Amino acid sequence: MEKILDKKHLDGWIAALAEWDVLGPVLEDGIWSYQTASGAVRLDHPNTKQSPKELAFPQREIFFKFEQIKGEPPKLTQVVPDAQRHVAFGVRPCDGRGVPRMDLVFNDHVEDNYYQARRKNVAYVGLACNKPPSPNCFCLSVGGSPVSTEGLDVQMTDLGDRYFVKAITETGKGLMTAAGKLFAEPSAADQKQVKQVHADAVAYPQRAIRNPDGVPAKLKASFKSPLWEELAQSCIGCGICTFLCPTCHCFDINDEVQSKAPLKGQRVRTWDNCQFPDFTMHSSGHNPRENTGARLRQRVAHKFQYFPENFGMPQCTGCGRCVSECPVGIDIVTVVNKVVENAG
Amino acid sequence: MPDNIYLPKLARVAHIKDEVYGERAIKTFRVEPVDGEFFEHECGQCAMLSIFGRGESMISIASSPLIKEYKQFSIMRVGGVSSAFHELAVGDVIGIRGPFGNSFPIDDWRGKNLYFIGGGCGLAPIWPLITTAVAQRANFKNITVFYGGRTSRDIMYRAELEKLRETVDVHLSIDKAEEGWDGYCGFVPAAVMDKDPVPDNSIAVTCGPPIMIKFVIQNLNKLGFADEQIYTTIENKMKCGLGKCGRCNVGKDYVCVKGPVYSWEELKNLPEEY
Repeated sequence: MEKILDKKHLDGWIAALAEWDVLGPVLEDGIWSYQTASGAVRLDHPNTKQSPKELAFPQREIFFKFEQIKGEPPKLTQVVPDAQRHVAFGVRPCDGRGVPRMDLVFNDHVEDNYYQARRKNVAYVGLACNKPPSPNCFCLSVGGSPVSTEGLDVQMTDLGDRYFVKAITETGKGLMTAAGKLFAEPSAADQKQVKQVHADAVAYPQRAIRNPDGVPAKLKASFKSPLWEELAQSCIGCGICTFLCPTCHCFDINDEVQSKAPLKGQRVRTWDNCQFPDFTMHSSGHNPRENTGARLRQRVAHKFQYFPENFGMPQCTGCGRCVSECPVGIDIVTVVNKVVENAG
Repeated sequence: MPDNIYLPKLARVAHIKDEVYGERAIKTFRVEPVDGEFFEHECGQCAMLSIFGRGESMISIASSPLIKEYKQFSIMRVGGVSSAFHELAVGDVIGIRGPFGNSFPIDDWRGKNLYFIGGGCGLAPIWPLITTAVAQRANFKNITVFYGGRTSRDIMYRAELEKLRETVDVHLSIDKAEEGWDGYCGFVPAAVMDKDPVPDNSIAVTCGPPIMIKFVIQNLNKLGFADEQIYTTIENKMKCGLGKCGRCNVGKDYVCVKGPVYSWEELKNLPEEY
C-alpha cells in the first residue's frame, strides 16, 4: 500500500489512531525524545537522543512482587505489562533496524515473556533519512540504508509539502486504513520523486567502516591485541554508549525490598551495561573483563563479531549515538577501522 | 503469563549440612518442591536459586538426576545471596528456576575409564556425574576420584567420599601435611600424576579453582590424554540464565546456554574470558 499524505493531514491521521498511544519526537530543553503526542506532531527531528527501544524493553520493569509473613511460604504475584498499544512516529531507519535485532535476542532459545508482551503491542512508523541527520551516521557500513524499511510497519518519506507513505506490514496497513480518506493515491510524479529522493539519500556521503564483511574475522584475530587497552584509555565507564544504543539489551535483575517484616518487595529488571566493572565480576572478586580495554572489546566484538557469528548480521545499526554522545570521544567507527587495520 | 521464564517455583529446604567451616564455609542444602514436581535435570546443569528480598544466584545442581525427590546444592559463602543461604533454616522456602545449561555427555562414555578430579568446592558440580556413574557402575570400566582441599577441614562430602571407597578408587589430598592425614599431601595436579592415570579409553573430568584446572589439564596432556578426553566446567556471573542479560559470554557463547560443560578441545579455542 503506497499513498500520499499532505503534511497538513498528519495530525488528522494521528487523531484517527484513537486506540493507540501515539508517540512523536518532541524537542524539550534541547533534547529530542519520543513522547505521547499532545497537539501537532512535527517530523523535523534529526534523531532522538534515546532510541525507541524502551517501548518494548523499558529501562525498568517489575517482574513480580513478593510478600512473606515469617514462617509462611512467600506469595509471588506476577506483574503483567499492560495491553496498551503504542505507535512511534518518525522512527529513523537505524532505529527501525534495531527492532528485529532486539527480537532476535529476546526470542532466541526461549521467548522473554515481558519483552514479547510489550513488543506485540508496539508499531513503528518510520521516516526515511533524505540526508544523514547526524555527522556520525554510518548505516551503509552495517548493511542498512537511509531508506531501509527493516523493522518498520510504515515508511514515510518527506517530499516537501507531503509524505510518501508506504505500508510495510499488515499492522502498518491497518494504521493507514484507520485514516483512509486522508490519504491520496500517488501520482506518477510522486513515484518518480520518491525514487529520486531515495537514490540521493543512499548516495549521500557517510562515515564508513572499511571492508565491513571482513570485520568479524579480523576482530576474532584481534582478541589479544594491545590496541584495545590503548583505544579505551580515556574511557570513564559511564556507559552512555550502550544506554543510548538501539540494540544494546544487557540487563540486571535485582530484588527491591519495601518492608523487611513482613517481607514485601519486588524483583526488578533494569538496563545494565557491559562497560561497568561489576557487570561481570564474580563474587570471588575475579573479573574476566577487568579493564576498560576488555570492556570496550566486548562492546565492539559483541556488535561486530559475536552477533554476526550467532545471527549472521552486525548488531550495530550505524545510528552514531555512541560516537556523538561519548564524553571522551571514543568512536566505534574509528575503533573498528583501527583494530581491523592493525590485524593486517 | 503462563510459563513466565523469570518467575521461580517455590522449594522448601529439607536438609542442611555444614560441609566446611570458617572463611570459605560451604553448606549443602537439599530442597524439595513446595507443590508439584521438580523439573528434570542432567549431570552438570545449573539452577537459579532465589532468596526473596536478597536476589538470585546461579548454582550447579549437586545431586544426581536419578534422585527425583530432592535437589542438592552446595554453596560457598562468598557473595550477598550465598551469605543469605548460609542463614537459612530447615523449612525455609526459596525460589528455583531451571535447569540451565548443557550437561556432561555421560551416555557417550559407556565402556570407558572415568577419572574425576576435583578441588575445593569444585566437587559439587561433578558430584551428580560421580554418583550417576557409580549408580550405573556396570556401564563403565574403572572409576577413579581425585579430590583435594587446602586442609583436611576443607574436604567436603567427607562421609559420602568414604562410602564411595566401597565401589570406586578415591584418592583424597590436602595441600600440606597434617598430623593424622594418611592421604596424599600436595596439590591436586601432583596427586593425579602420583597415580599415573591411563589415557587409553579414558575420560577425565576436572572441576575446581582455575589454577588447579590449568595444571591438571597440563598434567593430563603430559600423561597422554588428548584434549577431547578432558572435560571441565566454567562459571561466569549470570543473571537471566537464558542468554539474554549479556554478561556470561565467552566470545560468542553464553555460558548459561552453551556451557557450563566444555571439553578442553572446545574450551581451548575460546577466548580466555572466564
